[in-house]
Parts: sequence; C-alpha cells; structure tokens
Amino acid sequence: MIALEIAGLSKTYGSVRALDGVDLTVEAGTVHCVLGENGAGKSTLCHAVGGSLTPSAGSMSLFGTRYAPRRPKEAIAAGVAMVHQHFSLVSTLTVAENLRLLRVGGLAARLERLADRYGLAVPLDETVGDLPLGVRQRVEIVKALLREPRLLVLDEPTGVLGPAEVDALLTTCRRIADDGGAVVLVTHKLGEVARVADVATVLRGGKVAGSGLTDLSADNLIPLMIGRPADDLAPVLAGTLGLSEVVVRDERAIDQAPVLSLRDISVTRPGGGYLLENVDLDIAPGEIVGVAGVEGNGQTELIHVLSGALVPDAGTVELAGEDLTRATPARRTAAGLGVVPEDRHHEGCVPELDVATNLYLGRLGEYRRFHVLLDKKAMRSAATAVIEKHGISAPGPAAPMSALSGGNQQKVVLARELALDPLVCLAAAQPTRGLDVGAVDAVLGRIRAAAAAGAAVLVVSSELGELLALCDRVVVAYRGKLSEAIVAAAPGAHDKIAHLMIGATA
Amino acid sequence: MSAVLEEILSGGVRLAAPLLLASAGELVSERAGVLNLSVEGMMLTGAFAGAAGAMVTGSAVAGVACALVAGLLVALIQAILSVTLRADQIVTGITANALALGATTYGARLLFTDGSSLEGFAALPIPVLSEIPLIGPALFEQTALGYLAFAVAAALAFGLSRRFTWGLAIDAVGEDTLTADRCGLPVRLIRYAAVLLTGATAGLAGADLALAEVHAFSDNITGGVGYLAVVAVIAGRWRAWPTVLACLFFGVAQALQFAAPAVGLHVPAPLLVTIPYVIALLAVSGLVGRSRAPSGLTVPFARTA
Repeated sequence: MIALEIAGLSKTYGSVRALDGVDLTVEAGTVHCVLGENGAGKSTLCHAVGGSLTPSAGSMSLFGTRYAPRRPKEAIAAGVAMVHQHFSLVSTLTVAENLRLLRVGGLAARLERLADRYGLAVPLDETVGDLPLGVRQRVEIVKALLREPRLLVLDEPTGVLGPAEVDALLTTCRRIADDGGAVVLVTHKLGEVARVADVATVLRGGKVAGSGLTDLSADNLIPLMIGRPADDLAPVLAGTLGLSEVVVRDERAIDQAPVLSLRDISVTRPGGGYLLENVDLDIAPGEIVGVAGVEGNGQTELIHVLSGALVPDAGTVELAGEDLTRATPARRTAAGLGVVPEDRHHEGCVPELDVATNLYLGRLGEYRRFHVLLDKKAMRSAATAVIEKHGISAPGPAAPMSALSGGNQQKVVLARELALDPLVCLAAAQPTRGLDVGAVDAVLGRIRAAAAAGAAVLVVSSELGELLALCDRVVVAYRGKLSEAIVAAAPGAHDKIAHLMIGATA
Repeated sequence: MSAVLEEILSGGVRLAAPLLLASAGELVSERAGVLNLSVEGMMLTGAFAGAAGAMVTGSAVAGVACALVAGLLVALIQAILSVTLRADQIVTGITANALALGATTYGARLLFTDGSSLEGFAALPIPVLSEIPLIGPALFEQTALGYLAFAVAAALAFGLSRRFTWGLAIDAVGEDTLTADRCGLPVRLIRYAAVLLTGATAGLAGADLALAEVHAFSDNITGGVGYLAVVAVIAGRWRAWPTVLACLFFGVAQALQFAAPAVGLHVPAPLLVTIPYVIALLAVSGLVGRSRAPSGLTVPFARTA
C-alpha cells in the first residue's frame, strides 16, 4: 500500500529552486531513506510534507487521498508526524507539559503503550532544557508517536546523538515500519541507510538523482549524492558520511612543549553543577587535538572560554606563556588565537554586513586613509583575493554575508581566523557542519595546513570519523569533563571513544 | 498611628486596582510573547471613553462598557500591527501611546468643557468584613470596579497555571512560536486573544481611574500607570502571584506620598512618586531576584522554513 506519493513537487525562493520536480513514493511498512548532501533540498521536502511551507508546484497524496497541508496543524490532523532537525520542544516546560500541548486523550495509557512496544520511556517531570540531547530526541519521538501517525518523517534525527542512541533510534524506526507504519528517514549518513532502510531516494540540487534504490551500498549511493565517482573521496569524508571504515592518519611524534595550556578550568552551571569541571588541556605547535562527544557536554563552553565569550569561574588559559583567561577578544586575536565558533550566524559573523567588512572587522586599523577614513577599496581588493584563494562562492566582496550559503559563510569565518599573523592557535567548533562534500575537503585541508605551518589546533566535532581522520589525539567531553587523550592512530581508538561518549568507562 | 496605617493600606489597595487590572492582561500577553507597551494608551483611551460614555448616557455602567470597547479597539490595532504585520512591538507600543495621549487630550477639550463631576462608582462596604481593623477598609470597602479588579486578577492568575491546557498553550507560544506551531497550536489566534484581553482589562483599568477614583477625566489621567503595569509584570518575574504582589506594593508606595505628611515625614512629594519606579529599576537590573523573560517575548511569528 502506498502511504505517501509525491509528484512533481517544486519550491522556488526567488530565483533559487530548492526543490525541482521531485517524485517520491513511500510504501507502508517500510523505512524509506531520503539521502542527499546539505542543500540538496531534503529539509525543504520535509517542510512541505509537514505543512510548514506551501510548495510552488506539484501534488501529494496520502494513502490515496489528496494531501495539501497549509499548516502543521493540518498535517498532524492527516496523520503525519514530524521529527525536526532542530528539536521542537519548549525547553522551559517539563516533558509532561510538552506532551500535554498535543491535547491527546488518555496520555498515560498511550505513553505506557509506547514504553512497552518500543522501550521509549521518558522522564515526565524533568524540564526539557535540563535533559541530555539523546533523551530530548527520545521525547521528540514519543511526541511524534503519541498521535499514532500513519506516516512518520524524521529530518536528520541523528546529528546530535551518540552511537548508542543512534542504534536505539534506528531500531525504533525499524519496529514502527514492522508494525505497518511508513517511516521517512532523512539523512546524509550512509552508514545509517545501510542499517535500516528498505528503499532509498537520493536528492541532489533539489532534484531526484536516484529513486527506488535497494542497493544501499556506499559505492552505489555516493556517486548519486555528489554527482561524481566516489574514488576521489577523501578519507575524512568517509567519516563525515558515517561510513564504517575510517582511515586514520598516521601517528606523528609531537615533541614540542605545549603552546596552549588550559589549567583546571571550571564553569559552574547557573542552577548548580558544572558546565565545565576541572578541565586540563595542552596542545603543542603543529598538533591537532580533537574534542569528541555528544553535543551539550561542555564543548560549547570550552570554545566560549577560548573566544572570551565566557570567563571561567576557576582556572587559567595560557597561550605561549601569556595569561589570556580574562583577556578581551582583541587581545586574544593579537596573541594569535583564532576561534571559529560553532554558531557562525550569531557569533561568527554579522550577516547584514558585507563579506569584506566581515573579513576585516577586527583589523580595520590596517585599512585607513588619512588616519580617519576607511580605505574600502583596499579592503575590498584584499577580500577579493581571499575569496579567490579560499574558493568562496560569493557574488563579490561587497555582497552581504546573508547572501552566502551556510557553507560559504563558514569558509569566510575560517579564512578570517586563518589570516591571523602569527596564527599561534586555532580553535574550530564543528568546522564542517552544513558544508557540502567539496567544501568539507577544502576546510579540512586548510586546517591541516595551519597545523603543518606550526599552529596548535583544537577541533570540536560530533563526527567521530572526521576527528579520527584529522587529529593526532582525541579527548572526549562528557558532562563537562574531558577524558584522557586517546591517540587517534592507536588500535581500538574508535570503540574506546564511542564508549566514553556515552559515559561508559572504556 | 493605626489610623494612618489604615489610610495607607486602603489608599494603596485603591491605587493598586487599576494596576492589577492592567498588569493581569499584560501578564497574559507577555507570557504569549507580545509586549504591549501600548497598555498605557489602552488605559488612557479607556479612561476617556469611560468618562465620555458616562457623561453622555448618565450611567457609570454604560461608561464602563464604552471603556471596554475603547480598550479593545486600541488592542486590535496593536494586535494587527504586532502579530499580523509583525511590526516592532516597542515602536508600535510607544506610537500608540503618543497617539492616545494626543487624541484623548484633544477630545477632552471638545467634550469636557464645564468641569463638572461625573456619574461614577461609590464605595460598597461589605458589612462586618469592612469592620476588621487595618485590612477591613482596605479590602472590603471598595467600589464595584475595585472588587472586579481583584476578581479578574485572581481568575487570570489561576487560569495561567500550567495545570490547564490554555495556560500551557500561552506559555508555549510565548517561549517558542515555531515549536507551538508544529504542535498544532493556533499561534496567531492565541496572540490575538492575549493582546485583546489586555485591551479589555486595560480599558477597565482606565474606567476605574476615571469613574471610581477621580470622577472626571483630566489630561493624561493615567500618567504612567500603564507603564507601571508593565513594570509590575517584570518585577513579578512573569509569574502571576508575584505580579499581584508587585501591584499591591506599587499601590502602597503610591499611597505613601499622601500619607507621609500625616506621619510627620517631610520627604518632598516628587521624590515619593518615584519610589515605584526606583523599585522597578532595581527589579529589572536583577537585584530583586533573577528575572527571565519568556524567550519569545517581542519575537514576531513567521512560519519560515
């Protein structure tokens, strides 16, 4: 039985075609994976099915009847449940209150059924904001299943989960399909597809690049996703795409004294407890150290302590012997500390200003005429050179940042930090998030080059494979603490880190 | 001494009544994510319409009905601007207040020319209860509008509780409109209802000022009470009962200025008038407990994807 049939679905934003004549058929009782790189149109497709946006053209039908939701409420009423990429739970409310917002009768009985059938038990009286992300994801799934939907759509649900939580989620998807439900799992991780999907559809550039696929091997899917053969895929990409085999970089001897030293850093949580607890970290020149971990275990705060957005309650940050614990961002920049923040839209750039200004906002003093006037011409020509060098796809140096895609914004931010002279230390949080395959390659290459040129590099990422391929050593963040460093090239490193990520002692 | 205290308390409760009404509505609206600075303008328009209605019809109750309608009209404008058109809530609020001040002052020149007193509400003492020393006259010797104010405040405080689906829905909309929308909640409808509720209660508050307090309309009769209602919500940290307490406290603080000479306290009156605002500043700057506004306050809703 056909659960969802999409025919010729298109969505245009101005001149951009986010979806271009997409056809998709989802059978009941199957898990149907929709694959694609970032920007392939996966999320747009989800929003159209979920009623969050109205398509420009095309039609949908649900179990044989015409389906054209104008708002999420109508999608819900039709029996479609969404699990969004960004959680849609009110973080200040408790789990029970969030579930009550759905206004379904017999809540307790339904919850019990879900707990019995899928092992989905949730802590009802906890405030959502206090819960680990894995538990929040479970609440999200419970919320979606409460109304007993006929079609469940999950939009990149595993991005913030640890390996064990991903397993649990995929098992749940499988069981729902086995119970006769239809599941659409949107992802860019091929490893997940191979494990759970019955059928896959690949999107590329808003169009269907392959449909009804049952050969779910990476060799078959990758060329469809990226539009070229998989041979030239860098080993790091394999990690990013969630493939099982990861090529770890060779072990290198680091014999220099550390240049960046974090000593006993603690940041207390406003409600009690610690966001960071007694964190020690040393990085030598030329060394790349990765911070692994499920999101929300103190990585964000660690980067904030380095960027100066957060002053730790205890401990010191030293760079080349200089105490930067309480230094202003300008002082840090002058000392050669570059930081690529996790949230590039809010912390990394000013979206309303043009690319050139974003590149040189911290160094306007170098572009002066007559001491008071800004030499825009010089600034823009310098920016043009940077745009070319880093392969940033932008209309020009005078284009506003907001006109650039997320990946290109990331490249601008990275280019700015890499341009520090001298670059003593680079800290990058989730540097490849939201980038397409080509951009990932470029960004990781530049990070490697920075290390080769003698910078100490810290990379925070939730992609374990990426860290293993990029870093010399990896530490794991769990509940505000950092584990002992694990040499990435050592045998068994992957399993050891995966264990530490969920708090199990390896 | 106890007579003075009784005086301060009953004056405080009387002055708190319009504050209670206005901030009860404002609290609901802010919990739903709409900051109505225009509550001042709603009150002022309500006071004017109440006075005009009472004068034309000769009935105070008809005046209250006019005040209610006038408050709702200003609220409707605010709601259209801030919810449907997604205009900046602070700018629209201040503009609405300036407009209300100009329009009512002009209207007063045309209507209220003889300076005579209006048909208003008299105090309705409740037998026995109003004989209780100290708090008796304060709580049980109010006008009908005064009692109504307390009833409305209590009802809203109770109704905002998260034990009820609507209280929960209002909070969800005020915290995160997108999430609320994805849960199937009617986000715009809830925000409209919340703003209109503020209009109704602020209109009543205006009527209370003109018909129960002063028995006349004077230019800018509210004189910032609406802003004080917004402040009471902040000082009450967006929770119902603390907001009620803040209103009572501000009322008593205002009453002090009238009682100060009686107890031989010779503080210049203009200084006393500032007390509620000083407290408000302290509250906002975080000295009186830690404040946390609803995350979605002043954030317009758009179903972007």
